[in-house]
Amino acid sequence: MDHFEVFGLPRRLAIDGAELQRKFYELSRRYHPDFHQAAPPEQQAQALEASARLNAAYRALRDPIARIEYLVRLEEGRETKEGAAVKPKAPPELLEEMFEIQESLQEAKASNRSSGRDPGARATLAGQRDRLVARYRDEEARLRGPLSAAWDDGVPAERGRAIAGFKDALAVRAYLRTVIDDIDQALGEAEEGHVSHRRH
Amino acid sequence: MAYSEKVVDHYNNPRNVGSFAKDTPGLGTGLVGAPECGDVMKLQIKVNLDTGVIEDAKFKTFGCGSAIASSSLATEWLKGKTVDEASKIKNTDIVNELKLPPVKIHCSVLAEDAIKAALADYREKHAAADAEAST
Repeated sequence: MDHFEVFGLPRRLAIDGAELQRKFYELSRRYHPDFHQAAPPEQQAQALEASARLNAAYRALRDPIARIEYLVRLEEGRETKEGAAVKPKAPPELLEEMFEIQESLQEAKASNRSSGRDPGARATLAGQRDRLVARYRDEEARLRGPLSAAWDDGVPAERGRAIAGFKDALAVRAYLRTVIDDIDQALGEAEEGHVSHRRH
Repeated sequence: MAYSEKVVDHYNNPRNVGSFAKDTPGLGTGLVGAPECGDVMKLQIKVNLDTGVIEDAKFKTFGCGSAIASSSLATEWLKGKTVDEASKIKNTDIVNELKLPPVKIHCSVLAEDAIKAALADYREKHAAADAEAST
């Protein structure tokens, strides 16, 4: 039984969050071990198993992006029986860009260590971070919006292409996430460096 | 999970870090990434155009210790090999040498991808130069 089936849902991404939560509570009560204490042991074990399955399904489906990641795994799992899953391809320009940001970040860190905090460089970095965060949000909006709609509304023949679209967008999102985290870390380190500098 | 001694060694003393000037003769560049973790890896080879032997190799990797060690090791192995020999380097060779645990195997795959991309880039440029010379 997959996570969609646990909730009696078709394999579609458009899910009403409030309705999902309501169903989750309803089913939680039904499977709750407290209501099965008088039942025979195997029935108790079944309820416990159903309860665990329900929790896992809710975790995977309640967040729209996690839902897409789960759908990709589900669809790919089926595909791997027939052939190898297709590796996602991030656009080469994006790799180039991520590489350049990482390089400049490394230089900024090195100069931070040697010369203390540079407010100008810090502001540049913070601005760059904000722009990357905006793109990260755009990518998530694209995943939740048009890409999800393409899966839900597409004819079965187009579904492979929709999955490939998800994978590419999830890859872009992952690269952006990494570089944003690295910038955050660099900004944090600069802050600490600043504090210890003043202490001296 | 502890890194093997070899990984730690390559991480602390990475070999051949850097890059070549864009107009270096016999240059091949591979830039690859791992979408699962956001790592990016650039690996470059400098091929002697007369002998077809890789004279020098450099890399720059932004990623975990295993990714850095894998690419550092790759540059060491590439030097002195011909382009054809280099294309036979497999990620499993890297896994064995560095004793990478299963969760870090994708780092060695990334290094193999980077080697392949650099060789393909070199071949592409070189074929174009050959075609130009013969016309």
